[in-house]
Formats: sequence, structure tokens, C-alpha cells
Amino acid sequence: MSFYITYVLVSIGLFAFSALFALFAVYGERKVSAFIQDRLGPTETGKFGLLQTLADILKLLQKEMIIPTAADKILFMMAPAIIFIAVYMGFAALPWAPGLIPSKINLGLYYIFAIISIETLGILMAGWGSNNKYSILGAMRSAAQIISYEIPAGFALISVVMIAQTLNLQDIAIQQGTLSAEKIKFLGFWDITKIGGILSWNIFRAPHLIIAFVIYFIASLAESNRAPFDIPEAESELVSGFHTEFTGLRFGLVFLAEYSMMFLVSMVGVILFLGAWNTPLPNIGAIHLADWTTSKVWGIFWIATKTLTLVGIQMWIRWTIPRLRVDQLMNLCWKVLTPLAFVCMLVSGIWRIWLM
Amino acid sequence: MSLAQVLFYVMAFVVVGSALFVASTKNLVRSIFMFFITLFALAGLYVLALADFIAITQIVIYVGGILVLILFAFMLSGKETLNVLQQQKSKFISLSKLPAILLAVLFFVVMVNVITKIDAGNIGWIKQAISTNTEIKPNEEMINNIGINLMTRYLLPFEAISILLMMALVGAAHLSRKERGAV
Repeated sequence: MSFYITYVLVSIGLFAFSALFALFAVYGERKVSAFIQDRLGPTETGKFGLLQTLADILKLLQKEMIIPTAADKILFMMAPAIIFIAVYMGFAALPWAPGLIPSKINLGLYYIFAIISIETLGILMAGWGSNNKYSILGAMRSAAQIISYEIPAGFALISVVMIAQTLNLQDIAIQQGTLSAEKIKFLGFWDITKIGGILSWNIFRAPHLIIAFVIYFIASLAESNRAPFDIPEAESELVSGFHTEFTGLRFGLVFLAEYSMMFLVSMVGVILFLGAWNTPLPNIGAIHLADWTTSKVWGIFWIATKTLTLVGIQMWIRWTIPRLRVDQLMNLCWKVLTPLAFVCMLVSGIWRIWLM
Repeated sequence: MSLAQVLFYVMAFVVVGSALFVASTKNLVRSIFMFFITLFALAGLYVLALADFIAITQIVIYVGGILVLILFAFMLSGKETLNVLQQQKSKFISLSKLPAILLAVLFFVVMVNVITKIDAGNIGWIKQAISTNTEIKPNEEMINNIGINLMTRYLLPFEAISILLMMALVGAAHLSRKERGAV
């Protein structure tokens, strides 16, 4: 029976982590936006305003949970839970360090791709349940956007899978460092299985994966409804889109889901393209930097650092680039990203057969 | 009862219950969202049957694709059309329900027939696989097997389906494009 206790502990731990991350990411986002717009951001609560989001959460928890009279009550109440659970379930298959993964399934990547798509349904549920024209417009926009951007994202992922030859995220991670069982070649010609480091990451094993990574990153911004793809909650047009009517804890859940989604998509990107939990430091001659910095603790450190860097870039982009119009959004997806992703997939096949 | 059995009965109950709700409710949106629960629980049953690839595919295609498209079509249609649909007379037996009843009864007959005819303990092809030692065990890599079989043994049906999908795509593009000369 003891492994059931482990399961429960792991899932509680992941939940605590995503909540804690959301707490500090909101603070981080406010500080980043303040820096970019030459303001100060939160300063009053706690040292440097560190307790600001904690105070905000306390306030949210105490607020009344209002259900609009015209709303479909069941759908309205279930929507935030479904949105959050969909994202939270995705965390189950993500590897954190060598030998440290909540669920080692051989369909890991496919599972995450599937489970994320449930979020769309939750958003549509929220939009319809609110019975409010802004909410439903936001929900429709969000669904259209997520469905469209799943295609370039999916093909970018497939081009990695073709190089890695597995859907198991832990195996994909192992292949990108000194622990790899198979031979790693930098750019297809230089054998660096013993050297490792940044040179053995997927984007350097096959350079066209840099393009695939950019495609995936753009698409992941759209899938987590972040600016410049935030037309689902465009404040200037739709109040705040599908979560206009939510108050208190339910609003908190929607927010938690958004930040967890940012972390999730960044972490998937890191695992597939940027070496997962492998160190960026290579072995140079007698100085075995890569071997010294590969262990469970280092693994968690590296993957957290890389993922938080990507999350930081997401925030930076949000406060720098203006929002895209609907038609520009669809043009970018179908006329630029999708053909490019197809080309990447084709190159992956050729690369795997002739250069690896 | 083992845990797997408990899980099976819980999920089977959810599937049947939510499917009944989908068929009987007057509220169309709720019936669509209930359909989501049916499909999700069905995916759970597939996992119990060790068909995890099919379970995930079920979620990708039905939940992520078809269900969202149904909702889309639903939300784009006007409120008047939907009101007509929702205010149908609630007679249990009527002529307009005849095709549905016929289909349901026929399907029921087929299912009962299958369940009574099949001898689940000793099915021919499974026994043959065990006797020739070619059966696949649950702890083996199943996706590799699926991939290899799709590309070798079932290549022709696979390609035929891809051509069918291609035709559907071309048709959709043809229907939705602008007429020449129209602005």
C-alpha cells in the first residue's frame, strides 16, 4: 500500500509547487512589467513588496463567490476546476532530474499534448456558463486560437520525436547529455557523447530544431493565452474575456491555471529542445564539469533555472509586443508557422536517416 | 474485489450514467458537456484494458477535436433555431422518433448477439498468439509495435484513410473559399 501514499504525496507536492510558483510568478510579472514601463511595482507589503501576492490571495479567498442569476450554475461552477485540473494533470509526466519523474510512461509527450487540449473545453464551459456576451466571445476566440496553434506546435514536437525516436520524456532528457547510451553528434559530424554540456542539447544536435523551438515557443504563447496572443481576454474590447464573471476563489483558480500553464509549456520546451535537466557546462579535457554537475539536485536546479528563464522571456514578450488582431493571428499560424513546421519535420526525417 | 475491478465498475457506471443523461436531457449544452464526461470515462476504461495509446488518442481526437467543434457549431448557431430544438413535444413514442428507435433496437440486438456468442475466455487468435509466443505483454513498449505494424502490415488501409482525409480537407477548402470575382 505504501506506493499509494507516495502517489498522494507526489500529487500534493506538485499542487503545492504550482500554487507557490503562481504566487511568486505573479509578483515577478508585476515587477518585470514595472521595470519595463519604468515604474516601481509593488513596494509597500513586506520587503520589496514580496508579500503583495500573498495578501492578494488572502483577499481573494475571503471574497464572496458570486454566481450571476442568468448563468448556467453547474457549468459556471465546474469550469475553473476543469481548466485548472487539465493543466495540473499535465505535470504528472514531466521529468525533474535523472531518475526523478512522477510518472514514467512511454507516451509522456503525447499524454501532455492530449491533456492540455482539455483546457479548451473548460474555457468554452466558462464562457457559455457565464451567459455574458463578452465571456462567450472570449471563449470562442480562445478555442479558435488554441485549436489552430496546436497544429504548428504538434508538428514542431513531432520533428523532435523523429530525432529522439521516443515519446518518453525521461528518455528524451537522457539523450541530451553525458548519461546518453547512444552516440550524440554535434551538428551531425562531431562525436561529443563524452563531452556533453550545451553542445549535446537537441537544438545543437540538429540545428533545424532551433526553428522548431521558435515555432513551438510562439505556439505555446498562444496556447496559454499570453500576450501578444491574448485576444481571448483583450481588456480593451472584452472586459476580461471568458473569466469576466468569476470572483473569489474561482477567479483564483483561473489565474493559477494560467500561470501553471506557462510553467508547463516552458518546461516541455526545455525538456524537448534545451537539454532538459542536463547541465550546460561541457567536459573540457581533464576538467569534468559536465560529470560534476549532473545529479538529482543539480538536475532540479538546471531544469528549474532553464524553465524560469523561459517564463521570464514570456513575461518580457507580454510587456513588449502589442496584441495581434484576429486575422493577423490566423495568418501567422496557417501561412507562416504551419508550413515552416512541416519543413522542420521533413528535415528531421532526412537528418535522422543520413546524419545520425 | 481488487482495485482495478472497483475502478472498472466506477468508470463503467460513470460512462453509462452520463450517456443516459446525454440522451435524455433537454438542455443541449449540458448534454454536450456531459458527453465530455462519457468520453473521458471511456478513456479511463481503455487505460484499464491496457490500451493507453487508444485512451490518449480518444482524448486528443474526441475531446480536443470533435467535442470542441460540436460546441463551436452550437455557439455559432442562432438562439431561435436552438429554442425550436429544445421545445419539442415530449411524447415518448412518436413517428419522428422511429428512425432513432429502429437504430437503437438494431444496435442493441447486435450487441446482445455479440456478448452471448463470444467466449471471452478462449478467443481463437489470442490462443494462437500465446501458443506461438508472439503475444504482447502489458509491460512491453506498445507504441513501437503499433508504429511498425501501421507502416508494414496495415500500410494500405493507413494510406487509404489518409487519402480520405485529404479529400475531406480539399473539399472543405473548396467550400469555404471565395468565388472568383467576388470581393
